[in-house]
Amino acid sequence: MSLLRVENVDKSYGDEEVLHDVSFEMDRQDVEVIVGPSGSGKSTMLRCVNRLTEIDDGAIYLDDEEIHGIDENDLRRRVGMVFQDFNLFAHRTARGNVTLGLTEVLGLSKEEAQAKADDYLGRVGLAEQADSYPAELSGGQKQRVGIARALAMDPELILFDEPTSALDPELIGEVLEVMRDLAEGGMTMLCVTHEMGFARSAASTLTFLDEGRIVERGPPEQLFDTPEHDRTRQFLGELTDLH
Amino acid sequence: MESVFLQAGDWAFIASNGSYLLVGTIVTVLLTVTSLGLGFLAGFPAGAIEVYGSGRLEDIVSTVGVVLRGTPIVVLIFLFHFGLPIPDLGDIQWLDIQLSTFVAATLALGLRSAAYQGQVFRGAIQSIDEGQMEAARSVGMTRLQAIRRVVFPQALRRSVPGFQNEFTIVLKDTSVAFAIGLAELLTRAENLYLQPGRGTAAMEVIITISAIYFVLTFTTNRSLDRLEDVYATPGGNE
Amino acid sequence: MSEIEVRGSTVGEIPGRKRLVVIAVGAVFWTWLLARWAYHNTLLDRLFTALGFPDLVRSELGYRQQEPWLPAAPFEAVAEAILSVQSAFGPLEFLVGWAAWPFELAAFATTTEPALASGAFITVYLTILSMLFGLVIAVPLSVARVYGGPILSGISLVYTELIRGTPLLAQLFFLYFGLPLASFFNGFAFVGEGAIPRASILVAIIGFTINSSAYQSEYIRSALQSVDAGQLTAARAVGLSKLDGIRHVVLPQGLRFAIPGWTNEFVYLIKYSSLASFITVPELFRQARNIGSDTFQFTDIYVIAALFYLALVLTTALAMSKLESAVAIPGLGSSARRD
Repeated sequence: MSLLRVENVDKSYGDEEVLHDVSFEMDRQDVEVIVGPSGSGKSTMLRCVNRLTEIDDGAIYLDDEEIHGIDENDLRRRVGMVFQDFNLFAHRTARGNVTLGLTEVLGLSKEEAQAKADDYLGRVGLAEQADSYPAELSGGQKQRVGIARALAMDPELILFDEPTSALDPELIGEVLEVMRDLAEGGMTMLCVTHEMGFARSAASTLTFLDEGRIVERGPPEQLFDTPEHDRTRQFLGELTDLH
Repeated sequence: MESVFLQAGDWAFIASNGSYLLVGTIVTVLLTVTSLGLGFLAGFPAGAIEVYGSGRLEDIVSTVGVVLRGTPIVVLIFLFHFGLPIPDLGDIQWLDIQLSTFVAATLALGLRSAAYQGQVFRGAIQSIDEGQMEAARSVGMTRLQAIRRVVFPQALRRSVPGFQNEFTIVLKDTSVAFAIGLAELLTRAENLYLQPGRGTAAMEVIITISAIYFVLTFTTNRSLDRLEDVYATPGGNE
Repeated sequence: MSEIEVRGSTVGEIPGRKRLVVIAVGAVFWTWLLARWAYHNTLLDRLFTALGFPDLVRSELGYRQQEPWLPAAPFEAVAEAILSVQSAFGPLEFLVGWAAWPFELAAFATTTEPALASGAFITVYLTILSMLFGLVIAVPLSVARVYGGPILSGISLVYTELIRGTPLLAQLFFLYFGLPLASFFNGFAFVGEGAIPRASILVAIIGFTINSSAYQSEYIRSALQSVDAGQLTAARAVGLSKLDGIRHVVLPQGLRFAIPGWTNEFVYLIKYSSLASFITVPELFRQARNIGSDTFQFTDIYVIAALFYLALVLTTALAMSKLESAVAIPGLGSSARRD
């Protein structure tokens, strides 16, 4: 039984069609990486899964339950999200960023929440920075707090929306390392990223999205080495050359 | 409480005194214009001095500014009215005002406005990128030329929202001239409902003049918005 | 322009040396003011009378019976000494007059000090209460404006535009003479008794609360709008409801951004509380005016009143900048906003 099932999803902004008849499935512990040129609808697809964006047509099932039948706050508790520009709560420390959801959404006591936050900050290598405010952290550290914040909610699935795109090149590695550890630890992850190295080594499935349609989908080796479509070869080739 | 509010008779009473209130409105507008004018004439150099001046002069200007901005307008109006040796300048008959009272109110409202307009202009000058000055100097302009030809024109445009703000504040505060008996809109309103037997009209009279103030601030603000759009330098307000 | 100026800044930054002067003068001013208030406080009087010191606090005296704490005589003596040599200066004797004036002013200030202190008490509590009540209204008002649907934000907009588009004095007159709230309040036996202030003060508090709520909500609104939209998105992505996200993420940041504007509004209200004198509230300016008509020393008393307001305004601005740095968070606040 699949954890996430996306069926025939359409989404338009006004006249502009962003997603067209998108369908795919993910099992538990899958790491799905979506790639595609900018404006291809990748981020929109991600946001549809936790309903930061509402789909126009089709259906999305989380654990066989249509997500529009789930209370939206409940859905977001079960589906974590990591943002491109981090979106850390600017007025709270690293620890405070993690505890807010724990106390307000999961109803943990302050002490429980802090213990859990420190545990997760430790896992992303930021035990020392727990009391720092976002402005005092580097980009890579910020993003690792963002990951800890999502992880601490014990989500069934985490969405990564270009988590390294806003980072200086030398800071990308530390974030990818955390993501790789997560993938190996069995976390179910749906990632939009341009990091081809990560896609090739960590993804269980790679999806190439272009102009709102899935062009090709399969194991990463297949898309990288023997793509069916020229468009896929061209795009992946360009990106791999770049990196 | 008796239910004597909003009686038809009271509205008719106001309507019959329409021209009486109109004269008050004219005094209010006149006082606003003279005060804002004085405020600009004194505030513009004050702001420039605070940016480019130094030593004693800058010190005096900024201290006087804090005093004017930190004192209630009603205190300033009384102080200028009673404290300054303004000679008797006679009356303006058709507006029913004493010129010396009008001058005292203009000085108080105008100089305080200058203190605020100076702040607006100072902020605008300081917001102009250093590179503008460097560019002007690099084509051979003197510092003074650069300030006059490059910095001031941009700073003035950026000051428009602040000046607009100042207009609204001054217009509303002309009502405080009521305290020294200048027959502007609020004073005339009070004269109306203080007439014997007209006490019941107080609410209607105050609603009426509030509406006049509101229309004045609202329409002027909207027109200035439009003006700003027309004269804005493209991208020059970022 | 991203930053919306609702009312121009009154004080701004006070530079180093002047700051020290303001702190020193402010400390003396407030020590005296608080001592004066305590000396005539009814509650403290009861307390100390119960403890066996019936004369330590004298609340039974009206301010007209209150004794000045500093004698006027030395100041008068200095002024007279200066003026006594005036004739020797011939055409420059007006300069001597000017030199004597500060001492005359100081002598006058010592005699008027009890009445001004009692007026300042009303000015201060009128302002503080109205600011706090105004804040309670302003927060939901601004949240409705930014996050409410068309109806809620429309109501909020109309309210703030109407209040900000009409003079405060007209609003006070509307409440006091138009409605008339004062006679309504006087219908209650307890108004003016004990800790409940007299009717005119209640009307003034209502008027100032309504007025400042509109201005405060404009400051808070622009502060809320300057909070990055991603903050609320992130809060929602963790599973917080919109209202919880506003409460726990947007407001804590937005209200910090709003402190400079809020300070400015506080200072404005201190100054504009003087308008309450026109609906018979015996606050600072009313006391000054009464002294003026008793003594005919109009200029002197208004200069003293102006210095009084300046002391209140400058110490408030300083205290608020202390508050701002006390609640400041690294990378967040007025300085970060300019980036």
